[in-house]
Amino acid sequence: MRVFFRDSILLIIVAAVALEGISLFQYYAAKKGLQKEASLRAKNQLEISKLKICDIINQTETAVFNSDWIAEWSLSHPDSIAAVTRRVVHDNEIIVGSTIAVKPGTIKGKGLYAPYSFRAQSSEVINQTSLATDEYNYPESEWFKMPLNLNSGYWSEPYVDVGGGEILMTTFSIPLHNSKEEPVAVLTADISLDWLTSILDNSRVYPHSRSLIYSRSGKVLGEVDDDDDDDNTEEGGNSFSLFSGISTEVEMDIMGQHWFLYIAPIEKTGWSMFIFIPEEDIFAGIRKVTLISRLLGVLGLLMIILILNITAVRQRRVRKLEEKKDKMENELRIGHAIQMSMLPKTFPPFPERKDIDMSASIVTAKEVGGDMYDFYIRDEKLFFCIGDVSGKGVPASLVMAVTRSLFRNVSAHESSPARIVMDMNDSMADINENNMFVTFFCGVLDLATGQVKYCNAGHNPPILLTTNIKPLDVEPNLPLGIMTGMQFTEQEFDMCFDDAMFLYTDGLTEAENKNKELFGEERMMKALRGRNSAAGKLHDMEDAVASYVGSAEQSDDLTMMFIHYTNEEIAGSKKRRLTLHNDIQQISLLEDFVNGIAKEAGFSASVASGINLALEEAATNVIMYAYPKGIDGICTIDAVIRPGSVEFIISDTGQPFDPTSVPPADTTLGVEERKIGGLGILMVQTIMDEVKYRYEDGKNILSMTKTIK
Amino acid sequence: MEVNINKLNGVTNVALIGRLDTPASLEVSKQLEPLQSDAAGTIILDCKDLAYISSSGLRIFLTLRKAAAAKGGKIIVKDINNDIRQVFMMTGFLNLFEIQ
Repeated sequence: MRVFFRDSILLIIVAAVALEGISLFQYYAAKKGLQKEASLRAKNQLEISKLKICDIINQTETAVFNSDWIAEWSLSHPDSIAAVTRRVVHDNEIIVGSTIAVKPGTIKGKGLYAPYSFRAQSSEVINQTSLATDEYNYPESEWFKMPLNLNSGYWSEPYVDVGGGEILMTTFSIPLHNSKEEPVAVLTADISLDWLTSILDNSRVYPHSRSLIYSRSGKVLGEVDDDDDDDNTEEGGNSFSLFSGISTEVEMDIMGQHWFLYIAPIEKTGWSMFIFIPEEDIFAGIRKVTLISRLLGVLGLLMIILILNITAVRQRRVRKLEEKKDKMENELRIGHAIQMSMLPKTFPPFPERKDIDMSASIVTAKEVGGDMYDFYIRDEKLFFCIGDVSGKGVPASLVMAVTRSLFRNVSAHESSPARIVMDMNDSMADINENNMFVTFFCGVLDLATGQVKYCNAGHNPPILLTTNIKPLDVEPNLPLGIMTGMQFTEQEFDMCFDDAMFLYTDGLTEAENKNKELFGEERMMKALRGRNSAAGKLHDMEDAVASYVGSAEQSDDLTMMFIHYTNEEIAGSKKRRLTLHNDIQQISLLEDFVNGIAKEAGFSASVASGINLALEEAATNVIMYAYPKGIDGICTIDAVIRPGSVEFIISDTGQPFDPTSVPPADTTLGVEERKIGGLGILMVQTIMDEVKYRYEDGKNILSMTKTIK
Repeated sequence: MEVNINKLNGVTNVALIGRLDTPASLEVSKQLEPLQSDAAGTIILDCKDLAYISSSGLRIFLTLRKAAAAKGGKIIVKDINNDIRQVFMMTGFLNLFEIQ
């Protein structure tokens, strides 16, 4: 957990740094772009404004220069000077006033002479006055001195026209020469600078940007700025004059604000146009975007933290569940071990006994299963059972454990399978709250007599292996645990020497291969063919199932039990068997078989010879005629030796034929009349005390009994 | 099963040694088949060492006996043991053969 926590913090820090880095990079990249754009916009605006200004300046200059010659001419015709100035004003709309001012003494008889024509405010009327007054003393004026000194056109410092409505004005003056090319007078044109304000108004590039024009001496000619703070730029006016005449861009802090300055000179008048853009305006967009992106980043980080937290909680929960699961699996393993320890699992279970051979196995589908088997010997009786609890897993295994201990407890003092089953049923049904039930087969084999009593409670009928292989006949009783007070039917049959019983749960017949096809009873029956030991038989069955199922997952518990009854003396009777193939040479095997039986039964040699003869006659008939030529067939001879008699049972699966229906040879006939056939059955019926034929389950069964005298 | 055939002075002596069961009879009947042409004379079936006989063995005896009857010959069954005598009895062969 601590490691996880540390990792999470590290992850958050890395994410935060990455986010901040990206945001910074974006910020600076965007800033650069925006700054470039601001510069472009400002310069463009400066250019446009400059063009507009120069247009008016040029118009004025052109108007003045065009009047140059007539003004110089008028110097020698002083009476027309006033008319010339009037014409200048009249002809040029933008010119509001004009004068021709002469140096004193230029015109004979006159000292100062400067007739002035001007457009009266908001009227088409052109008035005339003289600037040659004592108060004015124009020869000291800039507009008079400078062009004469420079001997070229000169734009005066803008000034406020006191007489004419306090309009900001500027004057363009050119020197006028006499015939000796001496500058002796000036021609002027006054223009109003009202329009500068409207130009600057149109040059606003950002919401809070300011535009202004400084005169040569740092005087503000026109200004557009915020309404709130009016005059701070004027205070810095002188410092800005540093940039006069240079086209440049500068950053500077003014009154606690960062500004970008774009400057363009208007060379002719010596003015400079400034556009001030506050940093906020340029970067307002990016600031907003950056703020939003940071907010999003923080939000993202918060979400990461939240997710990490949730993940951590979930992981803790998963780990807890896994621990729980591990614990439970471990307990299940222990449960399985305990469960298995309950079942007898040492094979052969009774190595010291010659009358019984057993083998059993259980393979559970899950860790613990609901299948069970059990067996033990008490009072020379084999108590055995097999059961399948409905369901799987822990509940089934618990019921299985209960079933097994009930079986032991009840059968400890009860030898009747039906009563054992009834007792178990009552106990189980009584406590069965989960409606689980158990299919159960219980049997008690009297080892001395071979008698088997059994009771089947809804389980698959066991398979009986005698002269043939077929399911045991069982009553359809209900499974255990359904309801108390149920009656269960008991049945019985006798086992002979070498007979066997195969018990199983439906996990065998319902074992599925990959294609979900069942193993089925047919395959089971096939795997049971052929005689061998109990362990070998079980092994054969396991192999058959394993090869059928292949890699498919086991779907149900699989339990099998094989009981091989090997008691040679069943209540004084013994069973012997000889199996012959349909080859006539096999008849020779009869002699030893018969001699052995004769010895056990106490027959004399001549009786044995007679029995041999009878068996040979019967068996020869089967070997020669029961099966089609070339087809392998079997003739089984079972001998049951009982006190006082021996029964021989000759069976085959060939075509049905009753030898007792053949008329025996007539022994009274003479040589010529005697027939070759009919001797065999004659001898069989003469030698044996009882001869019976029956056809059963596809088998010819000829039973011949010889009593011992 | 062993069969020894000796011919002396027109008398054919056939010694049957062992068990004349069905498999043995298949062999013996082949061996004795030529004797049917001698059936006009005397054939002695020496059963001193014959331990056992089944119906297929009896059939060989009967076949020879039928041939002898047709040709006027004579079949003598010699020295049969009690068990075989029993068989002969139950099959009525005692009446068909001259038993010595």
